[in-house]
Amino acid sequence: MTSPEASPRSVSQMPVAEGKSVQQTVELLTRKLEMLGAEKQGTFCVDCETYHTAASTLGSQGQAGKLMYVMHNSEYPLSCFALFENGPCLIADTNFDVLMVKLKGFFQSAKASKIETRGTRYQYCDFLVKVGTVTMGPSARGISVEVEYGPCVVASDCWNLLLEFLQSFLGSHTPGAPAVFGNRHDAVYGPADTMAQYMELFNKIRKQQQVPVAGIR
Amino acid sequence: MADVLSVGVNLEAFAQAISAIQALRSSVSRVFDCLKDGMRNKETLEGREKAFIAHFQDNLHSVNRDLNELERLSNLVGKPSENHPLHNSGLLSLDPVQDKTPLYSQLLQAYKWSNKLQYHAGLASGLLNQQSLKRSANQMGVSAKRRPKAQPTTLVLPPQYVDDVISRIDRMFPEMSIHLSRPNGTSAMLLVTLGKVLKVIVVMRSLFIDRTIVKGYNENVYTEDGKLDIWSKSNYQVFQKVTDHATTALLHYQLPQMPDVVVRSFMVAVTKIRLAVPPKHGARDGERPQKSQTAVVPVCWSSLLPAPVKRAEFGNPVIRPSVACSRTPRFTPRKSADAASQDSPPPQG
Repeated sequence: MTSPEASPRSVSQMPVAEGKSVQQTVELLTRKLEMLGAEKQGTFCVDCETYHTAASTLGSQGQAGKLMYVMHNSEYPLSCFALFENGPCLIADTNFDVLMVKLKGFFQSAKASKIETRGTRYQYCDFLVKVGTVTMGPSARGISVEVEYGPCVVASDCWNLLLEFLQSFLGSHTPGAPAVFGNRHDAVYGPADTMAQYMELFNKIRKQQQVPVAGIR
Repeated sequence: MADVLSVGVNLEAFAQAISAIQALRSSVSRVFDCLKDGMRNKETLEGREKAFIAHFQDNLHSVNRDLNELERLSNLVGKPSENHPLHNSGLLSLDPVQDKTPLYSQLLQAYKWSNKLQYHAGLASGLLNQQSLKRSANQMGVSAKRRPKAQPTTLVLPPQYVDDVISRIDRMFPEMSIHLSRPNGTSAMLLVTLGKVLKVIVVMRSLFIDRTIVKGYNENVYTEDGKLDIWSKSNYQVFQKVTDHATTALLHYQLPQMPDVVVRSFMVAVTKIRLAVPPKHGARDGERPQKSQTAVVPVCWSSLLPAPVKRAEFGNPVIRPSVACSRTPRFTPRKSADAASQDSPPPQG
């Protein structure tokens, strides 16, 4: 079965502006996008739950349990993504969540691990920009920015164009090339790569300190 | 002035005729004066009547005489020369009545304008002929009667021949694959796939390219029936622009006598759709090649058309494309009014 193809996206984090809350920074960004000429096109949501392998399944050597992330993306409403840190990514349908309940013996959900990002989508020519507030529980922890370039299918070809576009509205906060882009040249980009980027982003935000001026969602 | 001028009128006789008219007028008015005065006073009635009648007769005779003189002179005057160039419109200019429409002056202006137009058109055609814009191979100056009729042979080709030509071109380019189908009768529809970048749908009429649509690699090119969708445009603006470029290319290559050369040139142009990011960013990213065959940003379009294609099999060179380069617009962000976001100015488009 051929892997599904998707348009290359770059997922990055935008640092909160000094002296402002998360909410205000998001508003700043969306206002900039609107002045650029982008049109609002609904909302999006990406969420992630962490599971770790249950202690009973660990061998006698006491190897560390692996972490598994179960993610959903509103762009693919009928799918569920399960991925390991550096491992494979499984794309299943939404019944997978129910399956995870059944697999309680093997995978246990980490406490308070649910992290999600919600925000609005903007369409600008062939680009799709999603600016979302990353929240863990009740507190806003950061800002995620995802940019997708529609016409392309091979990631390494359009990275420079994405970079130029990101610079036009992120300025100095433009990220570097995502790891998934550099891995395989001329390979077709897929939804699994997007979810891997989100997973990295969420992990980074989790490790960060809480934002000092916590904005109320 | 006894000499006859070029207008052909005898001017002396004309002057004499005018004075003859004056004489005639005065004699006619004398007649009426006589009638008005009536009979003069004489001794007897007969005397008065006789005098009156004699006077009256004298006046009538003088009128007769003057009229004859006038007729004689008018014959001498002669008609104005018949070869005046204005003919009827000249007569229009003599009309003293001032109409609401100044017909004659407008006529003159229209005539002057058409003369100027003809002159300028002659100059323009001379200049244009220096740069040959002809799309056909016909020689210049061949009149319509002598122009050879369009060979019907190039329009009616056996489908097998078309298939052969297409498969030959398919083998020429490794990165391009052509799939031929005939869903609607005898006209061929090609689905050209270029690497993992784009798909081109080419609608043909025998061996002439009729229309072309460029779509992205991930877009659906089939309708719900499973047939090739030859009408819907691409969803992406960049490929809509590339469609315009490809259409211009197919309009540019026109050789009615050698359609397979045209198809080959068009395919070469398609493979050369170089869509590269501007060099200043290519330099920053070391691992990415400057101009990849399969990158996706529209660029200066003189690179879309190739250098003259190698001589075709039967030895005739292909016409060289000569199109000016034009920059395709890149997105230009409007200036942000936020004071907080002045980290770096947006790149100038």
